[in-house]
Formats: sequence, structure tokens, C-alpha cells
Amino acid sequence: MKRILLTIVLLAAGCGVQPSGIVDGGEAPTGVAAGTTLYFVDAAGELRPTTRRTERLGTVSEALSLLMTGPGRDPSHHTEIAETPTPRVVVSTKANLIQVMLPLTAEDVTPRGIDQIVCTALGVHVQSGGARTMKVQVRFTQPAPASEAERTCPLIR
Amino acid sequence: MIGRRWRGGLRPRLLAAFVAVTALGATAAAWSSAGSASTALVESSQRRLVETVTSQITAVAPGLTYPPGQDALELLRAAVSPNGVVTYGGLRSADGPDLITDSLRNAVRTGGRLVSQRIEAEGRPWLLIGTPVMITAVDGARAPSGIEVYVARDLTAVDDEINGMARNAGLTAGLALPLAVLLALLAASSVLRPVRRLRDTARRLAAGDLRARSRPRGSDELADLTVTINEMAASVQSSMTAMRRMQADAKRFAADVSHELRTPLSTLTAVVEVLSMSADRMEPDARESAQLAITETQRLVTLVEDLMEVSRFDAGTAELRVEDVNVTTAVRQCLRARSWLGRVELVAPDEVAARLDRRRLDVVVANLVGNALRHGAPPVRVIVSASGVEVRIEVVDSGPGIVEHVLPHVFDRFYKADAARARTPGSGLGLAIAMENARLHGGDLTVSNRESGGARFVLRLPGEAGRR
Repeated sequence: MKRILLTIVLLAAGCGVQPSGIVDGGEAPTGVAAGTTLYFVDAAGELRPTTRRTERLGTVSEALSLLMTGPGRDPSHHTEIAETPTPRVVVSTKANLIQVMLPLTAEDVTPRGIDQIVCTALGVHVQSGGARTMKVQVRFTQPAPASEAERTCPLIR
Repeated sequence: MIGRRWRGGLRPRLLAAFVAVTALGATAAAWSSAGSASTALVESSQRRLVETVTSQITAVAPGLTYPPGQDALELLRAAVSPNGVVTYGGLRSADGPDLITDSLRNAVRTGGRLVSQRIEAEGRPWLLIGTPVMITAVDGARAPSGIEVYVARDLTAVDDEINGMARNAGLTAGLALPLAVLLALLAASSVLRPVRRLRDTARRLAAGDLRARSRPRGSDELADLTVTINEMAASVQSSMTAMRRMQADAKRFAADVSHELRTPLSTLTAVVEVLSMSADRMEPDARESAQLAITETQRLVTLVEDLMEVSRFDAGTAELRVEDVNVTTAVRQCLRARSWLGRVELVAPDEVAARLDRRRLDVVVANLVGNALRHGAPPVRVIVSASGVEVRIEVVDSGPGIVEHVLPHVFDRFYKADAARARTPGSGLGLAIAMENARLHGGDLTVSNRESGGARFVLRLPGEAGRR
């Protein structure tokens, strides 16, 4: 009887946390970058990624603010988003959707300009470890039919 | 001895088997459940810790300058604290003990994936998580950034939880044991009770109570056994009854026959007496026939009287008429009445007092001495002695003795030692009647051969002091 109890105790003791070997724990975290990728339009009217050396990836909101300040003195690129004195963008992220609220009306942005915004937002999302299947909804200060569309970037598939 | 009895009984054996089975089952169940529960617990807490660290890193990573300076490393380390180590090239930021193993470091450097390892350090279980921080391009391609994060998490709480669980399992198993003992006792008594009843029945049967039966209960093997034993007892009882009835019939027949023979026989005796008186005046041939008739008639009378005597013994109606008797005098009178005093040597003290049936004593002594004179050889000696509790009458002769294989049968009825010598004057019942008389007195009659030749019959009767 004593031996049986001893066995039980030993077995119970052997049930505790045991040392193990190296176990794979999944994907490593990501999110660091030397800069932010912005999308402008080249002379042929095509989208072109450009890296801004900001020394960090930053957030979607920061990247969009940078995008709205324009391509700067780079002559080979231009932007199709109208200038605004307050380049502040509100970004809210849902399960499968990034909602971007611009301080612009629908007339201030061409379809190519909307692509610029969608691609920049998705790029930051992907670089910080997000899924590439994410959709982006671009909203304006005034309600417009274009606001409701859930978009993807033609360059990020 | 006690130990052997303890091991040998059905109850302790059942008890031991039940307890062993319960302990084994409970241990196995407790072990497997505790094992799987602890594995699940460890894995879930490990997964939770890994997810927490991943989300902590992911939350701060986009805000980190890259390539990182010491400030950035400190920021990242603070996000995953406590016990975090963050390195980038030669830069390093750490707090808490450095428990990182080399194998983990190698796996992080070469694998490009998050890895974990459980270790035992400082007497406590730890979960080590190591991961590189990756750079993801906009097209999804991943490359190591050179930043590595190592985190140690204390698993003592999980360990305690598992131990508590195991303790509970053991305790539950322990609680099952008294229940097992109880069940074993119940099972044992349910088996033992019918067995005990059977044993009692068998004892009563062995003691002669052929009506003893035990009632079968249920329909198990023990009930079958009970039924079989009952059938056996019934068959023994019926054959015993039949045998007794046959025996009784035979005895009654003998008694009836002898009784029925007496009346014609007494007529015959009277006729023969008349015949014997006129025998002297007969022709020699006729006289011889008459003598033969007289002898055979006397023999027939003796036989019928002996048969009736035996029947009385068998029926239990033989009466013992005890009186104060001087055994020496009684034996001497017996010998004198048969004119044997000259041929028999009587060795006896003057006075041997006993309470006996005088007639029966006479019958026994006459039979023994008559046999000795008839079958043995002189000198025939009768030795009377008394020891207080018993009176001993010994009759010895100096003949050839009794053949060895006949000795056990000399007291049997109508037993003839020599088939060729069938026609002897005796009835063949003399010794049987002598034995019955001795027993009726509460005494005994034995026979043996003397070493110097001759037979010795010893009659033992209760003496003055031995009478109850």
C-alpha cells in the first residue's frame, strides 16, 4: 500500500513543468523599417513607391500625412492629391478594413490619387506585420459614393 | 501461522484484490488525467506568453528608429520587461538574470522564427522566448533586422497549479480506497454467506442429520452447488431409509419365524420326550433314529431360543435384571451346573462383588467355557479378577487357537470358521449373544490368541465402583 502511494506521489511529481528542447513558436514579430514607403505618380501616370528616410516605419496616419505633403522637389514624381493646410488623417482599423478619413472632399482627389492613399496605407499595414488581404475605405469630409468602396492597392496583391 | 490464515481466507483475498484493482485504476486514471491536464495547461500558458510577447513587440516596433540606437533598444526592452534582453549587433539592453541558452540563441539567429524553450534555473521552471525582429517589405518579403529579443518568464505559478491538480487527483484516488474496501466486504459476504450455509449443512449431514438442507438463493454457481448438495443429501437419505427398512424387515421376519416355530416345537419336544422314555424298548435301528430325532430336536429348540434372544436384542426389548452378585460364586455355580468343575481350572478370589444380571452372566460364561472345551484343548482355565472399576473374566484354553483371518468375525452371527465342519452342536449365535449381553451390561468382550497357543476370551463388566 505504501509502495502504491509512493508511486502515485512520484507520478504526480513527474507531472510538473518539465524542461524541453527548442520549440518553434510561430512567425517572428516584425515592424521595424528604415523608412516609410510612399506612393507617387510618375510622368507616365503610373504609381511608384518611394522610400522616405524617416528612420522608422511609423503609423498609417503618419505615412498618409507625409504623403499629403507631396513629393517635394523630386521632378520625376507628382501627386494627384490636392494640397491641404491641415494634412491630418484619422485612421481607424477594423478586423478586415482600414478606414481613412481625409481632410478633403471627393473632388480634391483623382482616382489615381485614391490609389496613392490606398497603397501607402496598405504598405505600412503590411510592413508592420499585417495581412496583405486588408481592404481600405477612403472617406471624405463630405459624403460621396466613392467613400463606401472597399479598395485594394493595384501594386500590393 | 496467523499470517498464513490472513492470506488464506477468501475475505482477505477478495479485499486485497479489490483494493489492488482500485488503487491501480485510480492511479492510472489520476496519472493520465493529471498528465494530459498538465500538458494542456503548460501549452496554453506557453502560447499565451508567446502571444503576449509578440504583440508587445509588434506594438512598439513601428515606432522604433532603425537602425536602432541604445535608446530604441531600451524602449523595446521596456516593452517586453521583466527579464528581457534586446540585442542589435554589439548593442545590448538587458534587465533581470540572463538565462538565455546558447541553443536558443543559435535557433533565433539561424531560424528567423520565434522559438521557445522550457528550462529549470534557480530552482524554478522558466519559459525562454527568443525571436528576431523582422523587416517586412511592402511585397511581403521578410528579412531579419538584426534586432533580437529574448524574454524569460517564470512558470512557477503554472507548476504550482499542476502540482495542486496532481495532489487533488491523488487525494481522490485515496478517497476511492475506503469505498473499495466496503465494496469488497459486501462482495465477500455475499459469497461467504452461502458458503457458510453450505458448510453448516454439510456438517449436519456428516453428523447424521440426513434431513439437513440449505435453501439455494439466486441462480449463480453457489446456488447450483447448493442444489447439487441437496440432491446428494436426498439420495443418501432415501437409500439410507430403504436400507433401514430392509434391515428392520429382516429382523422382524427372524423374530416372527422364531416365535411361530416355538409352539409346534414345544409340541414336538413333548413328543420327543415320550419317545426318549420308550427308546430302550425299541429295536436297535429304530432306537438310533429316535436318538437322532431327539438330538436334532434339542438343537432346534436351542436355535429357536437363541434366535428369539437375538431378536430381543435387535428390537431393544432385552431386559437387564441387575442384582448384587458374587462373581466367583456365580461362575462356580455355572461350571458346577454343567458338571465342568472337573475339567476347568477356576482361578478366582473368594469374593468379587458386582451388580449384574445373574442369568446373563451365566449364559456368557457357559458359552465361552463350552466353546473352549469343544474347540480348544485342555487345560481350560477361567480367571476372575476385579480392579474396582471393572470385573474381568478371562477364559483361556491350550488348543491351536483361532485362525488369524477368522478372528475379526468370531462374533458375527452364523459365522462358520470351517465350511466343512458345518454340523456343530452350537446354533452359530452363541458368541454374538455373549457379545450383546456384555454390551447390555455396558461392558465388552474381546478375543485374541495367546503367544503360547490357544485362544483367550476376555469379558469386561463394570465393577462395584464403575457402576453409575
